[in-house]
Amino acid sequence: MVNSREYALVERCKKGDRQALEELLGQYERPIYNAAYRILGNRDDAADTTQVVFLKAFEHLDRYNPKYKFFSWIYRIAINESINQLNRSKKQRPLDENQVAATRGPDAAVEAGDLSREIQEGLMDLNEHYRTVVVLRHFSDCSYRQISEILQIPEKTVKSRLYSARQLMKDKLQARGVY
Amino acid sequence: MIEERTLQLINADLDGELGQAEKDELEAILESSAEARLMKAEFQKLANLLDNAPEQTPPLDLSARILGQVALSSKPSFTLTNLFSSFQPATAGLAFAAGLLLTVGFYEISPRYGSASDTTSMVGTMVAGQQSQRAESKDRLSFEGSGVSGNVSVQKSQGMLVLNFELDSDQKTEIEVSLSEAGLSFGGIAHVSTGDEAADESYKISGGTLRVVNQGRQAFSVFLPYAANGKGSSRDIGIEISTEGAQVFSGNLRS
Repeated sequence: MVNSREYALVERCKKGDRQALEELLGQYERPIYNAAYRILGNRDDAADTTQVVFLKAFEHLDRYNPKYKFFSWIYRIAINESINQLNRSKKQRPLDENQVAATRGPDAAVEAGDLSREIQEGLMDLNEHYRTVVVLRHFSDCSYRQISEILQIPEKTVKSRLYSARQLMKDKLQARGVY
Repeated sequence: MIEERTLQLINADLDGELGQAEKDELEAILESSAEARLMKAEFQKLANLLDNAPEQTPPLDLSARILGQVALSSKPSFTLTNLFSSFQPATAGLAFAAGLLLTVGFYEISPRYGSASDTTSMVGTMVAGQQSQRAESKDRLSFEGSGVSGNVSVQKSQGMLVLNFELDSDQKTEIEVSLSEAGLSFGGIAHVSTGDEAADESYKISGGTLRVVNQGRQAFSVFLPYAANGKGSSRDIGIEISTEGAQVFSGNLRS
């Protein structure tokens, strides 16, 4: 089902409307950055990847098929670019030292930062297929159908990857005493 | 031992993907199995942890960097790939001190505008897609010592700053330009033929800083669109030059 507002925005972008570009960017910058960060585990890489995602999206807007949601299209680019970045890195960089919640007070931030680090380490232990479905489901709030559309895999595969990924994460986080 | 079917139902329930019949089925299982209840509680806890993990804030200059680069790609004949490539000028052999000549790369961008010796008009064309305006020279720094000498100047034209570097170095030199602090994004880089080409040219943008590494006699221009939400009309652009890890120059260009 076509989102007419987004379709109109995309059409305006194609005509070089800078305000429309800014609107699309404003809408998707944060979620795309967060998805990339959770897949890559590194802020600099997430920022670079987010930049590439938008540049590619804006450059290839003519390839966007309005039969599908823009959300799915740009997330697909984001997931592909994140995985490409992972492959380019070959060995994954260490997690950022200072990941803390930017909007909380100092004590809460330290606590939240520790937990966030544990969760991120749990994610980084997963292979990219498992990590991707967990990120899309829990950090991007996607349904099975949306994940299926973004990754272009059957819903059945989404379910099975998600179950296996959760089982692995649960065991690893329990073993680390996170809960 | 929990059956596979039960695990599937528990997971699908967490995701809000169960129909009424499946919900009833899971409820019946949970009523009769303490193990299933424990498993559901553990998965629920994991899901809560993931769902409530702190959201990360993108770098403040990220959207400005993206918009700056998109602005440069708005001409139909121009691709982003070009933007990230070192532009190769076709005109060679002009005197090093005569200034910067930017040719082939920008002819590809917009063959209708500009002349081979007019950097200003190329900038104007890239940004606005219309007739050029004269660039305004703003500031210039010179440096000499430890096997490196040269100068860098800044010009301003139609929403963009252009840094013009001219250097001569015996050793591999790293030049760092602080972009994000000045509210600028990276728009492109153009190397100029000097007849005595620099070796090992490379550049990278990371964390709001442009790093250019090369050696020998070199001339290049860096194009910096203003950030959309950038600072006021005056900006200090930090420039640092190092050889073999030792800083040989540090200064600010005022635009």
